[in-house]
Amino acid sequence: MIYEIAGLRISIKNRCKYTESFCEKYLSGDQDSPADLEVAVTNEEFYAEKSLSEGFSDGYIENICLYRAICRQLPVLNRMLLHAAVLEYDGNGYAFLGRSGTGKSTHTGLWLKYLKNSRIVNGDKPILEYKNGGFIAYGTPWMGKEGLGCNASVPLKGLCFLEQAKENEAVKLTPAEAATRVFAQILLPEDADNAALTLELTDKLVTEIPCYLLKCTISEEAVQKSFEALTGKTYGK
Amino acid sequence: MKIKNGFVVRKVGGESVVVPVGEMSKNFHGMINLNETGAFLWNFFTAEHTVDEGVQALLGEYDVEEEIARTDVEQFVKTIQENGFAE
Repeated sequence: MIYEIAGLRISIKNRCKYTESFCEKYLSGDQDSPADLEVAVTNEEFYAEKSLSEGFSDGYIENICLYRAICRQLPVLNRMLLHAAVLEYDGNGYAFLGRSGTGKSTHTGLWLKYLKNSRIVNGDKPILEYKNGGFIAYGTPWMGKEGLGCNASVPLKGLCFLEQAKENEAVKLTPAEAATRVFAQILLPEDADNAALTLELTDKLVTEIPCYLLKCTISEEAVQKSFEALTGKTYGK
Repeated sequence: MKIKNGFVVRKVGGESVVVPVGEMSKNFHGMINLNETGAFLWNFFTAEHTVDEGVQALLGEYDVEEEIARTDVEQFVKTIQENGFAE
């Protein structure tokens, strides 16, 4: 079936039913026009993933492999996967990044609590597109264990790396500092073209989008710090 | 010495990084960060050259003493060979 994800027509050749209901909201009304991208999972890849994911259904495993297969081919289409939670506030998108367990969902949950007009576009694995000199973040069916997100897109205006701390502080990062941190949150394809383009897109991301490190506690003050750094607005006004 | 094919080098955020691609990505995982001299030497040794030629190239590009340039090139070549990146 053909799905419309991240502004692309993607033909997904799945064997298990799981992916069909998983991607339901993204199904294209036009199944006849050509696709931009076609993906299927090889047996080799399926069994490699299965050996790593004991206890999960075949459908779940195939579904993980399918997204990886999609994302590996994105850079030649000016897009890339970013492991992050993207929030929309006032029409703009902000990405929150950090290793598992650093509090991405906690901090984004606080934004939702304290900031009206905010919503999660993709809680875990958005696709970014470089377009007209800026980045767009897309919701996709793949959005993490919590399944938070929507079929929407938003212009990306800031990146915020999270670190737990005793005091709240937002620090601007240099492109080089941000690059080191972003590398841990991207997928590096194995083929030369897509690998090179991933690095080029990452360079644009860290040089053109303001990047911050938020040292934070679990508090409203933490939201204030990241909000003010990312939006340039005064919190609570 | 010549560096094997199968790497992509790009500047990201102003710093040079090298990543393995294709067959090379199966043997080596991860990313290599290069400083300015490292990036210059990496590029130079993608073609077959001797250590002496590397030293001369470095002297032609940067204002350094020959002894320091030689140490840099020898260290670079050693690192490349130890990691199995040399043909």
